[in-house]
Amino acid sequence: MNVIESNQLTKMYGKARGISNVSFSVKEGEIFGFIGPNGAGKSTTIRTLLALIYPTSGSATIFGKDCIKYAPEIKKEIGYLPSEVFYYDNMKVNDLLKYSASFYKKDCTKRIRELAEALNLDLSKKIDDLSLGNKKKVGIVQGLLHEPKLIILDEPTSGLDPLMQQKFFELLREENKKGATILFSSHILGEVQKLCDRVAIIKEGEIVKVETMSALTENSYKKFRLEAVHHVTTEDFQLDGVTDMKVKEKTVSFIYKGNMNAIISKIAEIPLKNLWVEEPTLEEIFMHYYEKEE
Amino acid sequence: MNIFLHEIRAYRKSTLVWTVSLIALVLFFMSLFPSFAKDAEQVNELLKTLPEALRKAVGIEIGSFTSILGFYSYVFMYIALCGAIQAMMIGTSILSKEVREKTVDFLLTKPVSRSTIIVSKLSAAVVSIAITSLSFILCAYFIASYVKTENFNEQAFFLLSSTLFFVQVMFLTIGVIASMLLPRLKSVLSLSLGVVFAFFFIGMFGSTVGEASVRYITPFKYFDSMFIIKNSQYEWSYLIVGLVWIAVALSASFYIYTKRDMNAL
Repeated sequence: MNVIESNQLTKMYGKARGISNVSFSVKEGEIFGFIGPNGAGKSTTIRTLLALIYPTSGSATIFGKDCIKYAPEIKKEIGYLPSEVFYYDNMKVNDLLKYSASFYKKDCTKRIRELAEALNLDLSKKIDDLSLGNKKKVGIVQGLLHEPKLIILDEPTSGLDPLMQQKFFELLREENKKGATILFSSHILGEVQKLCDRVAIIKEGEIVKVETMSALTENSYKKFRLEAVHHVTTEDFQLDGVTDMKVKEKTVSFIYKGNMNAIISKIAEIPLKNLWVEEPTLEEIFMHYYEKEE
Repeated sequence: MNIFLHEIRAYRKSTLVWTVSLIALVLFFMSLFPSFAKDAEQVNELLKTLPEALRKAVGIEIGSFTSILGFYSYVFMYIALCGAIQAMMIGTSILSKEVREKTVDFLLTKPVSRSTIIVSKLSAAVVSIAITSLSFILCAYFIASYVKTENFNEQAFFLLSSTLFFVQVMFLTIGVIASMLLPRLKSVLSLSLGVVFAFFFIGMFGSTVGEASVRYITPFKYFDSMFIIKNSQYEWSYLIVGLVWIAVALSASFYIYTKRDMNAL
């Protein structure tokens, strides 16, 4: 079953582009990454899914229901954490979380305490007095306290130190194991790589590609780096599937997707000093997608 | 209900301050009444020396000024002015503060419809204002009873005092619609003061030139205190126009709020 199904979702701001024809689906129980540089349309998509803004055309369903028409009902089971968190400054953390919990018809007291403990968050402080990182923690607790079935995170890690970030990812994995579906947007590829099962790559308001993380990083793409005995040129590696080639005197690096035998026999023609075959980082794959489009 | 309670709590302090201030204001002015009443003759003589235009502008009518209701209605003009500022400020900020303080994402991603949000917030605003009005009316009545030199028409007194609530609700709706039409509003205070004083001066100007149609423009003139004191009733045409305005402004605000895009911050 698909938890999120976006169908040709389009949002225009006057003539300016927001997102156009964004279609993707998120299956139940998966951690879905949404990746692209700033301004690519990640937040616009998420805000449309949450009915904070209304689509110009197209539609999306969450839990099988239209995300605009049934917004209040759907949101009972959604936890949302924005990139920048802002809360009622003059409230205490505990009061804010209680206010947040009061929107859901269940007792969240225990869960609030658990989460606060896990994140090392002082509930008795005033929001105003919290550091950025601690405000973020309030956001995390606020997003998870009602044990939502769908967790939507819009660049959630800014302001968290690496240790907390790890803790936070652990929490997300736990929720995921309990059955929660997660939509995770980020422009930091390493994050997505660590956490997600599948990713959608978004660029200038359009989805460029949706692929499983394993397909992106393991199965098809390899990063080759080699050091030749003699000078080499790009012509030596002319082969379908070779991209992102960089030649510098005797060293060459490129990303390859395709038949391994073909590339190996090509390389075998050249006297080598050294050879590295590595998993490319998502970043490199990602750049590859972006360049291909241009 | 939780939004309503949250809002009431958020406005608790300001409601208390406004209520106490209004009561202090009426207490101060009304405590002067006995001395005015004692020297009624001289006061009236003195007032006659003021230019008529000025007397009309500030709402002083010779003869009635030294009766308690006449004096009270003069004081009440300024009470209504203050009440209007309070109401306009609440009205302007109640929806826009979420955007300004960037808490709108928090609220709108909760399982509540935007209609529920606006209704809860408006109810909280109206209740806050009603608390102010009601406390004021009761205290003003006790103060008037205490300083009176002779009995007064209590019905007229309450009718006159109740217009505070009506004026406040009108300015509340002006504030709400203003915040909807100016989504990037930065300063609630300056807008509120500006608009309220503009209407107040339009009212003064209207009284001076004696132009009846001006009365429809400014909520301050929907209720003519002299008419209320004489007839113990409101002028229906103005009451209806006022109610229609409230209905139109609220429906428009409702429509805009439920359709608006809440863009990223």
